Formats: sequence, C-alpha cells, structure tokens
Amino acid sequence: MQRIKFIDRMSTGKLTRREMLKSATAFGVGLTVLPRLTAAAEVLTCLEWAGYDVPDYFGSYVGKHGGPPNFSIFAGEEDALAKVRAGFAADVMHPCNYSVNRFVTAGLTVPIDTAKLSNWKDIFPALQTADGVMSGSDVVMAPADWGNSSIAYRPDLIGDAFKDGETWAIFYDEKYKDKVALLDDYLVIQIGAMVNGMPYDQAYKLSGADLEAAKAMAAKAVQINRMLWTDATEIQQGLASGEIIAAYSWNDTIKNLSAQGIPIAYAKPKEGYFTWFCGLTLLNSGKADPALAYDFIDAWLSPETGKVLIEGSGYGHANMKSFEVAQADAIVAMGIKDPVEHMKSAILFKTMPNEVVNEQNKVWEELKALKQ
Amino acid sequence: MPDAMPRQTAAGFSGLAAGYALLSPAMLIIVAMLVAPMLALVTLSFWTQNGFELDTSFTLANYWALIEPADEPTMWMGIPFPFKNPVYAILMLKSLVMSLAVTAAVILIAYPMAYFLAFRVTRYKALWIIIITIPFWTSYLLRVFSWKIMLGFNGVINSGLMSLGIISEPLSFLLYNPPAVVITLTHAWVTFAVLPIYVSLEKIDRSLLEAATDLGDSKWQRFRRVTLPLSLPGTISAALLVFIPTVGDYVTPTLVGGPGGTMIGNSIQSLFLKQDNSPRGAALSIVMMAIVALLSLLFMWAVGYRKIRARSA
Repeated sequence: MQRIKFIDRMSTGKLTRREMLKSATAFGVGLTVLPRLTAAAEVLTCLEWAGYDVPDYFGSYVGKHGGPPNFSIFAGEEDALAKVRAGFAADVMHPCNYSVNRFVTAGLTVPIDTAKLSNWKDIFPALQTADGVMSGSDVVMAPADWGNSSIAYRPDLIGDAFKDGETWAIFYDEKYKDKVALLDDYLVIQIGAMVNGMPYDQAYKLSGADLEAAKAMAAKAVQINRMLWTDATEIQQGLASGEIIAAYSWNDTIKNLSAQGIPIAYAKPKEGYFTWFCGLTLLNSGKADPALAYDFIDAWLSPETGKVLIEGSGYGHANMKSFEVAQADAIVAMGIKDPVEHMKSAILFKTMPNEVVNEQNKVWEELKALKQ
Repeated sequence: MPDAMPRQTAAGFSGLAAGYALLSPAMLIIVAMLVAPMLALVTLSFWTQNGFELDTSFTLANYWALIEPADEPTMWMGIPFPFKNPVYAILMLKSLVMSLAVTAAVILIAYPMAYFLAFRVTRYKALWIIIITIPFWTSYLLRVFSWKIMLGFNGVINSGLMSLGIISEPLSFLLYNPPAVVITLTHAWVTFAVLPIYVSLEKIDRSLLEAATDLGDSKWQRFRRVTLPLSLPGTISAALLVFIPTVGDYVTPTLVGGPGGTMIGNSIQSLFLKQDNSPRGAALSIVMMAIVALLSLLFMWAVGYRKIRARSA
C-alpha cells in the first residue's frame, strides 16, 4: 500500500522534493547493492559445444560440487571468441588444436598449471606437448577429446559411383544437388581447393588472389548443398530421413545413426580425411574460483569421461587409461586407439594465421549471401 | 480574474511535472536501453577494427565500404550492382522485398480476421481476442521451428501429400529458401496486425454504414468508401509494425532460410560475431535503420497518413 500511496502523491504533485530524493536514493542504493549480494558465490561458467554439456562428461565435478556448472553453447569457436571479446565472462572454454591460438592471440587465456590436474600424468605424452596445447612454454589447452571429420553417407542410397571412389567432390557435383550437406564454415573453400588438387598444407592458408580463384568451387557448393549445417542433429535427422545422402560429419553421427539401425558409413575420401583434437582452456574473464575450473578440467581428463566419450559418441580421449576401461568392442569400432598413429594417418587441422581466418570468413559469408 | 491566472499556471505546471514524473520510468528505460546503445552504435560505426583491437580514430571508411563503386558490376538476379562489396546492397534489397511480401501477406490475412471480430462477433468478444493471442503463449523461436517441421523433407505437408498419393517423393523446394522465410514470418506476425486493425474497425460509427446503405451503396461500395478508409490508420500502423522489425530479422532466415534465404540481419550478425568487424556491422545497422525509416516515411506520405488522421480524429 505504501507504494501505491507514493505513486498517488507523486502524480498529484504533493510529494516534497525531499521525499522524492529520499526514495530515489533508496532505489539507487538498492541497485548498487544488488549485484554485490549475488557476487558472493560465483558459479563456474563454461563455453561449450552443443552436446558436451551432459553431466556424464564431467561426473567427478558434479559429484564434488553437487551440480553442473553454467553453460553457454556455441556453434563454432569464432562465435565463442566474439562473445568473450564482447565482455561475456566465462571461466573455461573448449577450443581445438587449430583454434586455441585465436584465444591466446586475443589475450584471453591463462596458462594452465598442470600440477593441479590429477589426471595430467596419464595424458598421451605426444598430446601433452602437441602444437596447440603449448604456447611457448605454457600449457594453454588441456587436451581432452579427439576425433575425425569426414563424409558420413547412406550406403543404401548413394550409388556405386561414390562407393568405388570416395571423394569430397560429391559436395561440388551437380549430380548430387540438394542431396548433400557440408558444414557452414570456410572449410568449404579449403576442401574445394583440395578437390581441385591442392594439398591441405596450402589450402588452409589460402588468401589473396589464390583465395579469389578458389571461390568458384565454394560458390558451387553453396548452390549444390541442401543445407550448410551448424548443429550435428540437423544432418543426423537429414541422413536418417534420406533427405540428404552424404554429409560432412564427426564420429558421433556415425555412432548415433548406427545405434538407430540406420545404414551409415564413414568414408575415407581420396583427398584424405581430417582429424582434430580439442581440449579445455582457462579464460581470464572468469569470475569463479579457479579451483572450480581446475576441478572441471580434471573431470574432463578422467578415464571415466573417456569411457563415456569412446562408448557413447565414438570419439577418442586424451587419457591413456580411458582405453583400458572402455568396452573393447567400442574401441575396435573406432578403428584405432593411439592418437599419434591416428593423426599420422589423417590430415590434422592446422592453426590458420589470424588475417587468413578473417579473410576466409569474409569470403565465405559473402558467398553464402550471394546464393540466388 | 487577474488573480486567477497565476494559480492556474501553477496548477498547469504541477500537472506537467506530474505528467513527466509519470513518464519518467518509461523515459529512463528508453534512455538506458535505446538511446545509449544507439549512441554507442553510432560511435562504433566511425571506428575501425584492427585485428583484435579497435582503432578509435574517426573515419567514414565503414560507410564508404558499403557503397564503394567497382569497375565491373556484380550481377544478381539479372540486376547489376556496381559495388566493390555488392553483398550488402544485394541483401538490403532482398530483405526489403521479402519484408514487403511478408507485410502484404500479413495484412491480407489479418484484415478479414479483424473485420470478422469487429462486425460479426457479438458475444464473447474478449474470449475471441484471447483465442487470437494464443500463439503468443508459445516462444517465437518454437513457432519458427515448428515451420521447419511443417515444411521439412518428411514434414507434415510432404507426408500428407504423399499419403494422399499426390506426389511420389517429398518436395524439397518447401524449405531452405526465401518463400519459406516469408511463410514463417507471415505466420509469426499476423497476430500483431490483427489487434490494431481490429481497434480501428471497432471505432467506426455504425450509423455511417447505415447511412451509406440508405443512400444506395452496395455492400462492396460501402466497404470501399466507408469502412476501408476509416480503418486505414490501424491498417497502416499494422503494416509498419510488421515491416520494420521483419527487415532486420535474422533468426527466421537462420532456421528456415538456408543460404538462399539470408537477409541483411544475418550479414550484420556475421559481421559482429564471425567476421570480427563490429564497426562495419554497426555502420550497416545504421544504414539499414535509415533506409527503413525513410521507406516508412515515404509510405506514410504516399497514403496521405496525415489527412487520414485528421479525418478520423
């Protein structure tokens, strides 16, 4: 009632200046006090890929702290980077070997003290010092998951021509118009160049006139592809219904669709297939206690998480012990259990120079916009 | 009487003060949420992005980049765009055309609904209005997403037509193109248009209609000469209410448009979030706002909005 009276008196002009000021001050003081009250116990905030926010991936963290951290989901590392740079306060981010350098260059990361991670000693030694994990003498990314990027296809629908010679050219071929789906990423330009015979070592850093020349293939892909996906569930639904018969995909698509009894195969294209490893990076924008962040990272590196990852989605894990506890047939299904061997047999995504990322991004966005 | 004057002024003054006092919460919100971000956007548009840093020296380069001419025009849909970065102009034009299509469709659908509500419904009017606003109870995103299910490859329309034996394999042209965006936006915005049109139809003095009939107008003539002109204020505000926000929409094209359905909002989003060029994104937003404002003014001038208002007042 007090409040209604106040508004009444204000509207009839009976309120004195003094009373007005007093109320305004009370409101202002209230405003400044509010955020401080909530700041008392900051919750850990993680920038994470869609699907990785499931508690199974960080069970020991949930066990210790009673619940999952806050998640903010991103579709690609550039989204996450823009968000953090615009002032979003996150403690932990999940970049990959080829993208972590963007965060380091932007001055957003904090080196990881591996002594605080109980599972670090069991990480594959080659991964502990791999390019992307180390920046100078600092560890900037704790490697966690690794896997492939190749073509998932429906062997029952695709026809023998493709099965006899698996190739990335299917995404640039008029014959497969509206039947295929690539990732919404400038990688489409690089793969296009590879189809035309350029090795990945050159294609990943295409710029200037060479990039202009590579545009034609990518423009063709934009016309031919049914969609350019940003979320793996889009292609999983598309492949399941037969709307698309081939898609750029990660291991989890194969795992999920074969679990549903849908005929699905993972290609080894003649131009090569890609591999990547991702991990967790500490950001300097975080507000939570760093100990929470270390607990979260440590949970991700645990063999229990590795078991879930290997059995549930067909990805590899950075912890050697994961392969001892995971089901043998799941490991066999993956085909390979040593990340070093694995990365030798495939093309490891590389860190692109910052200017090239921006240039390829710009060209890619324009190509999509120009679709008629 | 001379001594009455100052008292009256004092009362008028305190009335004015009370008016502003009542307005102040809304004013504060507008200043904090609209004016301040706008000023920030304008400032940002005069800066440049330099890697991860912002170069804060004043420049018009971002605006120049939007209209910088090129020797060789880029052809799109048979229209030449003589710009070095033709994407912005092309997307602007495309967004305007798509939004106009949405606006036209919305008015065509909403007008009969509002007409029915104003003239035919006599009982339970409040209930009818609640029923019309039911779509608002669901999130906008969900409504957009449900169109993906409707128009999808094994969606409602395709499986319906297939079970009827009209088509033998699913139609793929339903989704991931500009028409899909227009359909989805139309559905999402119809409700916004019904209410203002309904209000202006409801306000029409029924004796005018009787007079028109008495003087020999047919039903159609009566509608064209009395009902339609008198309902124009609501219809025009409904059209603007739909046109202005849909030009910059980016969620709908992202979900149902595919690359072909991209609109100017997607380009702005990508400049801010992916291309690491927020100053140019800011410049593009401001140019978009200016164009939309100009078109809205032109539209109001063309339909003689001021005369209509004066007449209905």
